[in-house]
Amino acid sequence: MRLLSLYLLALLDGLLCGLRASMGRCPLIRKRGYYTRASIRGIIGAQIISTLALIVLLLTAAFSTYRDALRADLEVAATHMLWIFLPYAALVLFNLGLRLLPSTDIRSATSVFMLGPLTAIRPLVMVAGILYGISASRLLATRLLALFILVLMLSLEFALNYRAGRAQSLQIRLLV
Amino acid sequence: MFPAWNPAQPEITDLIVQHDPHTHERLPVRKQELLEVFHRFNNRQALRAVHSLPEKAGVLDDRGIDALLLTVHWEMQRLAEEFYHGHRVWQLLRCVLASIRQAGIRETLRVADVGCGTGYTTRWLAANIPLADYNIELLGMDLNSVLIAEANRLASAERLPCQFFQQDAFSPEHSSHIFLSTGVIHHFRGPALLEFLRRHDQPDVQAFLHFDFQPWFLAPFGSWFFHYLRMRTAIARHDGVLSAARAHDARTLTEAARATAPRFAAGIYGAKIWNTPAPRVFHSLIGLRRNLVPELRRQLGRHATRLGELR
Repeated sequence: MRLLSLYLLALLDGLLCGLRASMGRCPLIRKRGYYTRASIRGIIGAQIISTLALIVLLLTAAFSTYRDALRADLEVAATHMLWIFLPYAALVLFNLGLRLLPSTDIRSATSVFMLGPLTAIRPLVMVAGILYGISASRLLATRLLALFILVLMLSLEFALNYRAGRAQSLQIRLLV
Repeated sequence: MFPAWNPAQPEITDLIVQHDPHTHERLPVRKQELLEVFHRFNNRQALRAVHSLPEKAGVLDDRGIDALLLTVHWEMQRLAEEFYHGHRVWQLLRCVLASIRQAGIRETLRVADVGCGTGYTTRWLAANIPLADYNIELLGMDLNSVLIAEANRLASAERLPCQFFQQDAFSPEHSSHIFLSTGVIHHFRGPALLEFLRRHDQPDVQAFLHFDFQPWFLAPFGSWFFHYLRMRTAIARHDGVLSAARAHDARTLTEAARATAPRFAAGIYGAKIWNTPAPRVFHSLIGLRRNLVPELRRQLGRHATRLGELR
């Protein structure tokens, strides 16, 4: 259940990374379709990362002589990670929810005071969550797996930005 | 203060594209001249950004600069979206339009976006407002041909009922009833600001709404943080923060408007958030034919408190 929660949070993070990478790169007014595609790209990215992590986890388990201990250790690490990731995700979702209010001041305030800073601290939250999980784990395999996932998750936004940037450059080159 | 925030210097985007003021033809821009400008202000951030600009034999490469300008303007649109700028403009414009109608003016009202860039505000209005119901026509004017071409391309891609022209917004060719702008007025300084506002005083003009950053001591810090997070190009990051530092205060704007366009009652709209001391990021200089003022206050309803002294 805890690993599933982490997986769902990874998908949410991927969705938001996809959105952020696409913002400021499409000058149309109506772009629900554009943002939907960007979100799906982010989810796919997070899914690829999750699949890679799962493959590594299964391989580790397959060759491990202490499978039950590994599973218990992963659960403990995941619980600790959730203590960091869940409040962060809740804060992001709460502020996104505030944007449903019909007040331009409240909506833009969520960008300036909350979503902007929350975006800025995302890498720190990732690192903090993983380190907190690692601090509670006892097995090297769990720690290495957590670090592997951290590297992948931090690379996700970079990769999505790189892809979106290239697509934008190509589009602009055709215009001038 | 940091050299990059010195309000006495121009923004990089003010300098990288130059047009002949009469023919609107593009003029070559020498990179060395730009570097000298920012050397004088010891602005290393601007120097780095200018150094990286594409050039051919010391002259800025038009194509590369145009691509960069489009990138910057696409990014700037993101900020406007995050600040719900279209909604904000419409909240005020709707009341101004109603006041004009109440005064008995029935003809189609032309709303001109001055220095429209890629025309975000105009396109937003065209996409979200039933123009026929309000009997208004939306135009955008800018001297930059590439931005105007892009604005027209985007409007056409979404079949939006608005048009964009490369020309001086105050030329008689497209005389307008309402002038509006976003982030433009701080580019006019000293006598140029007075001249800019004086040119609003035309027979057809009923109102003007100029939205811009509101200066206060934390504005450059907030702008720096926000641009650092949201913008990707060095020029956008530099100019965005400098814009906040260069923005005119309410007094400068209203005094200039009252001195040069005396037939309009001028004031500031939306300076504070919910009547608290907290300033909004943007405020707007509003000018209105004097007979329209009481009706505007009525149309604004509970938002009338956002309107400062209008005289």
